[in-house]
Amino acid sequence: MRILRYLTLFALVLQGQDVTLPLKANSVRFAAIGDMGTGQAAQYQVAQRMLLFHQKFPFNFVITLGDNIYGGGSPTELERKFEIPYKPLLDVGVQFYAALGNHDDTNQRFYKFFNMNGQQYYTFKKENVRFFALDSNYMDPKQLIWLEKELANAGSEWKICFFHHPLYSSAAAHGSSTELRTILEPMLLKYGVQVVFAGHDHVYERIKPQHGIYHFVEGASGELRVGNLRKTVLTEVGYDQDRSFLSVEISGDELYFQAVSRTGVTVDSGTIRRPVHEEQ
Amino acid sequence: MQSDRFLKAILAAALGVASIAIGAPETVPAKETPAFREFNERVRRYLKLPKSAPALRNTKEGEEIVQRRHALAQKIQEERSHAKPGDIFSHKVAEEFRRVIQGAFDGPKGPNVRKTIRQGEPVAGWRPIVNAEYPDKLPLTTVPPTLLLLLPMLPPEVSYRIIGHDFVLEDTEARVILDLIPGIIP
Repeated sequence: MRILRYLTLFALVLQGQDVTLPLKANSVRFAAIGDMGTGQAAQYQVAQRMLLFHQKFPFNFVITLGDNIYGGGSPTELERKFEIPYKPLLDVGVQFYAALGNHDDTNQRFYKFFNMNGQQYYTFKKENVRFFALDSNYMDPKQLIWLEKELANAGSEWKICFFHHPLYSSAAAHGSSTELRTILEPMLLKYGVQVVFAGHDHVYERIKPQHGIYHFVEGASGELRVGNLRKTVLTEVGYDQDRSFLSVEISGDELYFQAVSRTGVTVDSGTIRRPVHEEQ
Repeated sequence: MQSDRFLKAILAAALGVASIAIGAPETVPAKETPAFREFNERVRRYLKLPKSAPALRNTKEGEEIVQRRHALAQKIQEERSHAKPGDIFSHKVAEEFRRVIQGAFDGPKGPNVRKTIRQGEPVAGWRPIVNAEYPDKLPLTTVPPTLLLLLPMLPPEVSYRIIGHDFVLEDTEARVILDLIPGIIP
């Protein structure tokens, strides 16, 4: 039975993957994964699927949404739960930008593959998109002050935040991080952040826009809680039947997304037009 | 600390975050009380301890990160071999923390604070011990941001942690428990 399951998976891996993203010239292309660092077969299979997808949609970098290395206290854990599964992507020059989760050792910020440069929270820019990686496990006043300053000076057309704890989630296990939302959301609105990526809940969910901000939960790139999504009034699209990753392309004022399951099924796709906030 | 007051004033006034987002009297940034001044001084004293472990740098070698962390932990444990509960959280300091934390839990935002801890995967089955290393396998319980707004701001070398019902001060890089207030978290 187990052999049959692996053979099926292998066959699926061999299949091509339809890409719904437009592959426009000079677009910003990336993938998002969360709660992946288990070192188990499923994580490796998602990584393999990402590699196949990369052949048709050559994304340049990956943002990680925390819980990158579960129980990562030994050197071999970093290899087994990151370097080995994503080696083919690293080998073709894909960069990873990590946000920390509650299962991550904060010293991962010195791990060169994560591009954190020793910082628990940081920002980087790709073309017309400014990314903000936050440490939602320890949202202290210093981080808030830093975020305020960086958002105020960002100047980019697109502002995207990514961190571990979702401000909105319909999953039964954790759900929305309401306290964090109370503190962060006014700032995100004030400075015109358009999109937020988070993990923590081991499902995929696209939330209906909240005050004009689009929220994605992708916490099923290694871990999974089958059937955990309750599909509340918040849910636009959700998927909790298998692992998944999210791929994104930004070109001009449009953001295209495609969520793909471990077996290559497109579980969600669409386009977001850059909203202009009144506060801007 | 002067800088703490300054940063919190910026946070509350200039950014409008505390006032817009939180607003309740319980979340007005903590005043620099004598107890918090004493706490800050004790933290400063801790930071002056000689630590000879090499500074951590960006590396692709996971082994280097882990070895450095353990070397730093060992050095701290040696330097503080006689450390005991209350060395940093003295009675007076602990009482002030208790008052502020209790106020946050009992106030109108209390349910949200509790929810954050619940969602942040509270650690059970392990009691922290002063000078022990935080176990690798355990997650870090999310520290409620409302609490972090109320407590003295820390330098990056040290962090607050919540472990079960205990409130802990930890060396951020070495992940050594520096002191704790047992049973303070409801």
